[in-house]
Amino acid sequence: MHKLAPEKLITIIATDVLEDRLIAIARKRGASGYTIQRARGGGSSGEQSGMLEIDTNITFHVVVPPDRLSGILDDLQVLISKRHHLTVFVSDVSVLRPEKFAEPLA
Amino acid sequence: MSALSNLLIPAVLFFALGFIARVIKSDLRLPQDLAKMLSIYLLIAIGLHGGYELGKADLGMALNAVLWAVILGFTLPLIGYALLLVTRRVDRMNAAAIAAHYGSVSAGTFLTAIAYLDSAGIDYESYPVIMLAVMESPAIIVGLLLAAWSRRQLAGTNNEGTNGTVDGDNGAGRWKTLAHEALTNGSVVLLLGSMVIGAISAPGSMEKLSPFIDEIFMGVLCLFLFEMGMEAARRIREFRKVGAVLVAFGLVMPLIGGAVGIAVGHWVLDMSVGGTTLVAVLGASASYIAVPPAMRLAVPEANPSFYLTLALGITFPFNVVIGIPLYHSVATQVAG
Repeated sequence: MHKLAPEKLITIIATDVLEDRLIAIARKRGASGYTIQRARGGGSSGEQSGMLEIDTNITFHVVVPPDRLSGILDDLQVLISKRHHLTVFVSDVSVLRPEKFAEPLA
Repeated sequence: MSALSNLLIPAVLFFALGFIARVIKSDLRLPQDLAKMLSIYLLIAIGLHGGYELGKADLGMALNAVLWAVILGFTLPLIGYALLLVTRRVDRMNAAAIAAHYGSVSAGTFLTAIAYLDSAGIDYESYPVIMLAVMESPAIIVGLLLAAWSRRQLAGTNNEGTNGTVDGDNGAGRWKTLAHEALTNGSVVLLLGSMVIGAISAPGSMEKLSPFIDEIFMGVLCLFLFEMGMEAARRIREFRKVGAVLVAFGLVMPLIGGAVGIAVGHWVLDMSVGGTTLVAVLGASASYIAVPPAMRLAVPEANPSFYLTLALGITFPFNVVIGIPLYHSVATQVAG
């Protein structure tokens, strides 16, 4: 059997104009890395077709050790309190090589 | 030109085709980054062309045009904001965000107007191109100021204060970021940069670019408007959510902006019928490229589906189909 370690996966769906802010939060809060994908969908801000620059969403994934979770969530809460439209969910995941996620981005 | 032949320009017809394709639920799908690529090309082509012409033009006149572009960019959002508050259909934050769109400009509408003038064989000055570049930014700044002011008003009237950080994080840093955002916006950099290249390039070297900036231009514009027709139709479906009063704003505001533009183009800048028409189009059009991301970032309280539906779904088609011929005919009455 492989040895798996528990981590937290934070997934954020937001407009792509928030990308730089999300990266800044991930860096500041000691994430080891992040992954961004373009996304399409619909919701309270209307349809996000992804066809034009003005209506492109992203999904932002970051995996962190459980003790770094609340710092990131605090910063996301600040964005939400400013009425930015964010969808945030946290999942329990298991990873190979937990030391990879322990080392913050330079 | 007769009223019908106004509309029988390939660029406008492709806009209609895109619109219809969406309305009849065609399965046609364009590649995701097509509109972005085409708009990059269009901005470079119009920038090179305009810069080349401006290089030969009168500097004093160009500076005057820039000055009035800034004045228009600052004034139109204030008119829009006041008008929106009078309708009482949206709160102050939405009014600020929507108004910013109407002070800025739509390159797509401007280029359609150029296609219209070209096909009618009407000459126009090169100054409106530099106005197009200049007018992207001031409205964003006014929109942000209006939003900041509205935010303060709202915080004053409603003291329970749902959140303590209404005014944002460290004010100075935030404003610096936003001003930077407004002035270094991708389309502004591309357009101004291409204009400089067009103005300072050796004339012989510009001729080599002619196939790129002149010959394929109208074809690319057709493709771009085809896609924008599809996007406009996608947006117009949300008009029920936006409501009749806001839709009316999306039709009235371009008429006000167009009238102001005609006045500035003819009486202040003393342009020909073609030039005056283009300034009217600048006044009438609403941005759907530069302003929405800035508002998303800086005015998150406003609902993007309001300003996008208005700018892209209502005002853009209105200007392409009705506005441009209308502004041209009024410009002809006034200046002709």
